[in-house]
Amino acid sequence: MLFLLAWKNIWRNKKRSLIILTAIALGLGCGLFASGAMYGMWDSTINAAINRDLSHIQIHSKKFKKENLIENYIPQGTELKHQIEKINGVKAVAQRIIINGMAASPTSSLGVYIKGIIPDEEKQVTSVASSIKEGKYFEGVGRNPIVIGLELAKKLDLKLHSKIVLSFQGLDGNIVYAAFRVAGLFETESSLFDKSNVFIRQQDLIPLIGAEPITHEIAVRLTTVQVMDQVLNKLRTMYKNLEVETWQQLAPELSVSYETLNFELNIFLGIILFALLFGITNTMLMSVMERIREFGVLMAVGMKRTRIFMLILIETIFLSITGGIIGMVLGASSIWIIAQKGINLSLFSQGLSSYGISSHLFPVLPLEFYPILFLMIVITAMVSAFYPAVKAVRLNPASAIRIY
Amino acid sequence: MALIELSNLHKIYQETKIPVPAVEGIDLKIEKGEFTAIVGPSGSGKTTLLNMIGGLDQPTEGKIIVDGTDISTYKSDALINFRLHHIGFVFQAYNLIPVLTAKENVEFIMLLQNISKEERENRAKELLEAVGLADRMNSRPSELSGGQQQRVAVARALASHPSFVLADEPTANLDSVTAESLLDLMEDLNGKFKMTFVFSTHDSKVIKRAYRIITLEDGKIKSDETRKVFTEI
Repeated sequence: MLFLLAWKNIWRNKKRSLIILTAIALGLGCGLFASGAMYGMWDSTINAAINRDLSHIQIHSKKFKKENLIENYIPQGTELKHQIEKINGVKAVAQRIIINGMAASPTSSLGVYIKGIIPDEEKQVTSVASSIKEGKYFEGVGRNPIVIGLELAKKLDLKLHSKIVLSFQGLDGNIVYAAFRVAGLFETESSLFDKSNVFIRQQDLIPLIGAEPITHEIAVRLTTVQVMDQVLNKLRTMYKNLEVETWQQLAPELSVSYETLNFELNIFLGIILFALLFGITNTMLMSVMERIREFGVLMAVGMKRTRIFMLILIETIFLSITGGIIGMVLGASSIWIIAQKGINLSLFSQGLSSYGISSHLFPVLPLEFYPILFLMIVITAMVSAFYPAVKAVRLNPASAIRIY
Repeated sequence: MALIELSNLHKIYQETKIPVPAVEGIDLKIEKGEFTAIVGPSGSGKTTLLNMIGGLDQPTEGKIIVDGTDISTYKSDALINFRLHHIGFVFQAYNLIPVLTAKENVEFIMLLQNISKEERENRAKELLEAVGLADRMNSRPSELSGGQQQRVAVARALASHPSFVLADEPTANLDSVTAESLLDLMEDLNGKFKMTFVFSTHDSKVIKRAYRIITLEDGKIKSDETRKVFTEI
């Protein structure tokens, strides 16, 4: 009956309760949506980085991690690739040759990462193929096709089918010069990536470096992120002499930002709840002050102070949880509705792309966020209830019953 | 042994620099089954005396023995528990919980006593029938007249099987017809169940009905008269 009484007490002054409920619901709803937008932004940034070139797991030779030299390749790369493809949870695997070199046009030159790939294989692992804005993915050019970023094309003043000269050191130490023709221009969320990466076919690159096929990087795409630790452990046991790393280790700045985001968002919602705390305390205090005589009577007839304290606590928790649930429904549904089409931020795309952030924002909030928030609301309610409840239990029943 | 026994009871309020004596050396015995009114002008100390008998206030000096228990040294929480199990209260302004129905108001006391739901419901029904409100069990206080609310308050006071009922100006807010009818009820309960009633009142209707009238003046007993011959039960 204590719960029933608490619930009924909330609705004694409907207008007052509705005002504080609206404040809680709107505060939390908007806070959740803002959190969803921030989370979505990071989520899409990370997904974009994973799709663009990181993939889930990468394997390199230990020396290559220290020095990006052509001779630091993975021994028997192709054999490894076939072994990895058989592991449960692995969706696709791509082998890459990575060489630091220069890309030159008749007007300018820039340092780039030359990535020798097998186009069909790479397509399964990363999204460069689907990011082509002009031309085609290694098609439409007779010999030595190259796919470069729009950003690099601008810097080097290149167009589709323009000639570009790549220079780099071969395995024998001699500098190799080779001419390629631009088959496709891609544009990803990261202008830095677009400016510093060029893709050519391994079949064109291998004869130039003067060697049998080599592999510097094996990129592994998984079926789901959930199996990442499991596959990682397996790969680490299989290839003790190689460097096996997840995207978090490859891009620690992204990973750290993502991990701290959860904490930051909890702080953000905590601040909203902290502000609401004063509103709730005020509402409950008014409610207690209006019922001084009633509390006096309850104490007079034998209701223990702990029970009165509990009654006010339960009332506050009910009030806050009701507002909290409405707020969570508001927040979650607004996130869901907006996420169907996303928010177009293309007006700011130039600024965003320099940070590798997608210009299309899809708000999202992980489910585990909600129970934490629920707990935070309950704690806020308990803190809010404390002062009014103490005020009530300190009443002297003999004088409280005579207050009108 | 008397149901209520007060010996050399003093209460001095120290709220200001000058001590104000409210009750000065009262000795009093109230037996089980009495229908007693404590009367006196404002400031005579009747509310203070009633508060002390009801365990709502502590004496500065003296003893209060209720049902064989000395409650004058009890701490606040022990007093709350004592009140719950030994004393029924009826207040001037009814003081029912407005959000609960008549039946729930009566049940609430028993809930505090941790009585089972079934027993609570049965007793609440029985008591509301006894006070003539069988058809208003599910009405909220706002849907009841003043007289009906005070009847619910009487049922609530009896719900906990108290040793006695303390009624503080129970008829003050009622018209004379309703007041008489409430007094009929209380008299009836006193006769039927031998329930002890102690009133604090100004109301001549209550004074007229009381078997014993204790008149206070300046914190002392001025007179103690028994109108009818009171037979010990």
